[in-house]
Amino acid sequence: MAKTSVWSDNRFWQRSAGWITGFAAVLLIWLTFDTAGQIAMGTDEDLKNGVTKRVPGPTVINYKITYEMSDKRGHEVPYIGGNDGKGGSLFQEKQKFFGRDDYSEEEAAALLHLGKLGSQTKNCMNCHTLLGNGAYYAPDLTKAWLDPAWQDDGTMQAMTGKSTKEEAMAEFLQHPSTYPTHARMMPDLGITAEEAKGLVAFLKHMSSIDTNGFPRNFGKIRGAVNGK
Amino acid sequence: MFEPMTDVVPSFFAWLNQGPLTLTIFLHTVIILPMFWIYKQEKTRLEKES
Repeated sequence: MAKTSVWSDNRFWQRSAGWITGFAAVLLIWLTFDTAGQIAMGTDEDLKNGVTKRVPGPTVINYKITYEMSDKRGHEVPYIGGNDGKGGSLFQEKQKFFGRDDYSEEEAAALLHLGKLGSQTKNCMNCHTLLGNGAYYAPDLTKAWLDPAWQDDGTMQAMTGKSTKEEAMAEFLQHPSTYPTHARMMPDLGITAEEAKGLVAFLKHMSSIDTNGFPRNFGKIRGAVNGK
Repeated sequence: MFEPMTDVVPSFFAWLNQGPLTLTIFLHTVIILPMFWIYKQEKTRLEKES
C-alpha cells in the first residue's frame, strides 16, 4: 500500500475550514442574540422589584448611585440605591434629581432621550469617551456622574455656586468656558437649560450601567474614597 | 485554574471570557478534536483509494 499524506490532501483542509467557518458563524450569531438580551434596558418594575440589569431602566435617575469595589468581581461596580453587602444593589435609597425623586418612566425616558440626542448633536464623543466610544482628549464621561470632583465636598459645586451635583453639572454644561477646570477647556456649545438637564440625566443613567469595571481604576484617583 | 462565575448576568459567553484557559480549552474542543476525526476519515478514504 502506497504511503498516503493527509496533510497534502485538499479535502482534509476543505472539510476542516468548512467546519471552523460554520461553527464560528453559529457562535457569532448566538453571541449577537446573547448580547442583545444582556444590553436590553430594564424597566421601572425591575428597579422596584430589585432585579439587577446590566442597563437599568430610565427611572434609575430617582436613585442614589455609588461606585464601589466588589471583591467578588475584582473591580468597581455601580450600586443603585445602596449596597446590600452581598455584591448586589439594594434599590432603596433615593436621591433627588433637580428636586424630585418621583420621575415616572415616561418622564425619565423623555429626559434620557433628550440627553442622548443632545450628546449626539453637540458631538460629545469628538473629545470625550462614552462607554468606550469616542476620544480621550477630554475626560471619560462613562462614570462622570460618580466623579469625586462633582460630589458634595468636591470642587465643582463650589466653583459653579450650586448646592447639588446635577445643578452644578447643568450650570457647567451651559457655560463651560466660564469655569477653568482643565488645561484643555471645554468650549461653549450653546447648550440650553433644558438640554443640560437631559444631558445630566443621560450621564446619571450611564453611570449606573454595569460596564464590568470600565473604565479601569476610575474612582481610585487620589483624594477619592471608593468613588464616593 | 477555573474561576467562579462573577459576571452580573451568568451566561455561556461570560463563562467563556473568565480567563484564557476556558477559551483555550473550548476552542481546542470544538476545532482541534473534530479535525482529528476529519483527519482519520480522510486517511481511511485515501488508503482505500490507493
